[in-house]
Amino acid sequence: MKTVILAVAIRILIPIFIIFSVYTLFRGHNHPGGGFIGGLIGAIAFVFHTMTHGPQQTVDTFLKINLYGYPRQPNQSRSLYLMRMMRVNVWRRRKMAHHPEIKERMIRVEPIYIIATGLLLAAGSGVVGLVFGQPFMHAYWADFYIPIIGKPGTPILFDIGVYLLVIGVVLKITFVMSEE
Amino acid sequence: MFLAILAGFLLAFAAPMLYRWLGKWVYVPMALLPLSIFIYLLTLAPAVLGGNNLGEVQQWAPSLNINLHFFLDGLSLLFALLITGFGTLIMIYAGGYLKGHPLLGRFYLYLTLFMTAMLGLVLAGNIISLFIFWELTSISSYLLIGFGHDKETSRSSALQALLVTGLGGLALMAGLILVGMAGETYTLSELLERGHVVTQHALYLPALVLILLGAFTKSAQFPFHFWLPNAMAAPTPVSAYLHSATMVKAGVYLLARLTPVMGGTDEWQYTLMLIGGITTILGALLATQHVDLKAILAYTTISALGLLVTMTGIGTAPALEAMVVFLLAHALYKGTFFLVAGNVDHATGTRDLTQLTGLSGSMRFTAIAALLAGMSMAGLLPFFGFIGKELVYEATLEESPFRWMLFAVSFFSGMVFVAVAIAIGYGVFWRRAVKATPLQHPDKAMLYLPPVILASTGLVFGLLPGFFVTPLLRRAAEAMLGVEQVFELALWHGFNLVLGLSLLTVALGYVVYRFSNRLLSYANRFNGIYRLGPANLYQLSLKGFLAGATKITAAIQNGYLRSYIAAIITAHIALIVLSLWKDGPRLELTNRLQELSQLRMYEVVLLLMIVPALIFLFKSRSRLTSIAVMGIIGYSMALFYILFGAPDVAATQLLIETLTVVIFVLILHKLPAFRYLSHASERYKYVLLSLAFGAMMTYVILIVKQYPLDSQLKAYYGENSYLLGQGRNIVNVILVDFRALDTLGEIVVLAVAAIGILAMLKLRMQKGDKP
Repeated sequence: MKTVILAVAIRILIPIFIIFSVYTLFRGHNHPGGGFIGGLIGAIAFVFHTMTHGPQQTVDTFLKINLYGYPRQPNQSRSLYLMRMMRVNVWRRRKMAHHPEIKERMIRVEPIYIIATGLLLAAGSGVVGLVFGQPFMHAYWADFYIPIIGKPGTPILFDIGVYLLVIGVVLKITFVMSEE
Repeated sequence: MFLAILAGFLLAFAAPMLYRWLGKWVYVPMALLPLSIFIYLLTLAPAVLGGNNLGEVQQWAPSLNINLHFFLDGLSLLFALLITGFGTLIMIYAGGYLKGHPLLGRFYLYLTLFMTAMLGLVLAGNIISLFIFWELTSISSYLLIGFGHDKETSRSSALQALLVTGLGGLALMAGLILVGMAGETYTLSELLERGHVVTQHALYLPALVLILLGAFTKSAQFPFHFWLPNAMAAPTPVSAYLHSATMVKAGVYLLARLTPVMGGTDEWQYTLMLIGGITTILGALLATQHVDLKAILAYTTISALGLLVTMTGIGTAPALEAMVVFLLAHALYKGTFFLVAGNVDHATGTRDLTQLTGLSGSMRFTAIAALLAGMSMAGLLPFFGFIGKELVYEATLEESPFRWMLFAVSFFSGMVFVAVAIAIGYGVFWRRAVKATPLQHPDKAMLYLPPVILASTGLVFGLLPGFFVTPLLRRAAEAMLGVEQVFELALWHGFNLVLGLSLLTVALGYVVYRFSNRLLSYANRFNGIYRLGPANLYQLSLKGFLAGATKITAAIQNGYLRSYIAAIITAHIALIVLSLWKDGPRLELTNRLQELSQLRMYEVVLLLMIVPALIFLFKSRSRLTSIAVMGIIGYSMALFYILFGAPDVAATQLLIETLTVVIFVLILHKLPAFRYLSHASERYKYVLLSLAFGAMMTYVILIVKQYPLDSQLKAYYGENSYLLGQGRNIVNVILVDFRALDTLGEIVVLAVAAIGILAMLKLRMQKGDKP
């Protein structure tokens, strides 16, 4: 579906959506919000993008990381090589992208990986209790306070897991349905 | 002991990796494990042989009274030494037998897993853990039989073995629990002292039936014997190890173990004697009807197992002594024979008895092993098998009403054993032949050393019976009898009746061997009987079961979403109406009607939005309109939530509605044109159903609201949300902290649903695929 207005608007709106979804996620502990709602908001941003640009475009824009690299020379030291790689990939991306020696590698973030990460975080937050000899899902809280995020603790981790999982599930469903 | 088991499991799962690293040398660590356990058990042996039973407890689920008890007495020690000692040889043998096989690592994984499970079974000091190890042996046996999974026969044989032994395993579990209830303990050492309590208990008979079912399926007793010959589809090391020496003896072990607990009654004695006797005769008869080496060995194994069960059934001191001696002797010579058969198969490419002749020249060491094992099996003088057979005859000839029948059974099987021993130990290798069967490759040390060692052990035990074997077997028999035993094994008992009978057996066995060709020609005449045999019944019942399952699935899972939902809702309505009808409170409507006057303006407005929208939805003929109207209804619902003070729920509802509408729009243009596929009456049926559902839910809610809600939970969450959960939003604190486990379950469901949608939409069935 090609609608110019929505297509332009969604580009500007996506960062706002995402920031708002993260904000909702973290405010959830004290005010209405939370991982589920935050995840839905975040997912809606991408779903709108898919709606206007198609799933391939969404994947290319948001779920793909281009890494550049070249094989290490035999006489080059490891640390130097790592530094070079970081430089190529971080602050000289644009310039190096067309360099003849540099090869491009793509990492595609499948929605299913996001689901798995979310599930791992949520389940892992429960394991923390087990490690310290408490029952599964025992909550641990830090004593300090971070602005916006609030007090860090295992329930927050759990909520982040829910957030990621919801985003992943909605994205997966959307991609599968629109790719047909 | 716990460490030994643990090491076994760890090494088992490391096997594929070790294969990748070590290549063909992988057998070294795999053989070292059973060897080291064997040596470890030998260090424990003096204590056990001195009359002390060793125990060890690891807490597992103490609240259920299930612990990892390990228990070592004479009987367990005998089996454990057999398993690890034989296991060492098999590990080496398998390395040679499957050399270069791409899945050798996996094979070692299965084999070590089996060995560990079997070790756990015989060392278990708690009948529940015994059962778990028992099931593990069934599963690993399934994997091992199906190792050549590209062949149809191995797959179906594996499944057959799993189904038969698994069925027995289920029965066994029930039986063991009943025994545990009758004896009021699951710990073996305590149970062993409460035999008189268990046999007097009302649950004794059902427990006995179930346990015997488990033991008989595992030990391939009639009428479950048919899985064992089919299990010979496994690679030969497996046949030798699982299906002759160890796993099939698990049933015998169980019977022996439970003799002090459940034995001694008439039911026990007669069932074991009858079934064991039938199995002995049947196995011996069928062994004469085959020419495949492994099939012959399988049927003689069945026969030997039957004899062991019969001996256990007789239950007198001499019979139990005879049983342990015969068990050891049988494991030694039958294991050798299987390994020899594997060697022959590997070197010549055939296992057909009629085609194999004169191999003694080309396979010298294998031939020696076969000869030694054959003499032991035939019960010739300086061998351990001779002692075993003497004792069996002695035990059957004791004063009892069935003595001649029992003797006939053991005599008949002994005769066939002699014939088989001559046929394999002599006929294949040493008989003069015009032209020896050609070899595809020369005999290999890794293949002939294990059988030679095993066979010479039989000779050493026979020559020196008093050295280590007698105390071990004495303690083993003691564990079954529960009283101190004094018996000495001796090779020479003097000239007596038993010796004469032994000689007669050998002579008659030779006659059977001479006429074996004529016996084979009768093989086809029994086909009519086989059709009624248990193997065929198994096939029929399996087919019927599958057909029935297909029909039921087709009826219940018809693939229409609407009928699933209709079924769920109908069941829901029926259940609630039933419970309300029986003793539900009555609804007082008068007060409620008065409350209607307090309706607020905006509530009425929302109602006026939802109800017409619903009616409109029902009549709409356009998908886009329907989706939009659905959106209206959803958002109105969200407004309701806001009005009644549930912002979290409202937000979720709003977002879900938005997503639903967006996703619908996304796929709208891909859907086929809107059509009515069902008759109008069909649709009215669903309208009625949903009306009924709505009415029922309303009624339930009204009744619930009629009583003041007295919930301590609400107060608890309200109080502790901030103090314990560090959050002021109670809903969220409940979701991520108080009841986080529920949420975890829900998100797992969500993830699984996403994968399910992927599978449903992406993985299209190809034409001709099975559903």
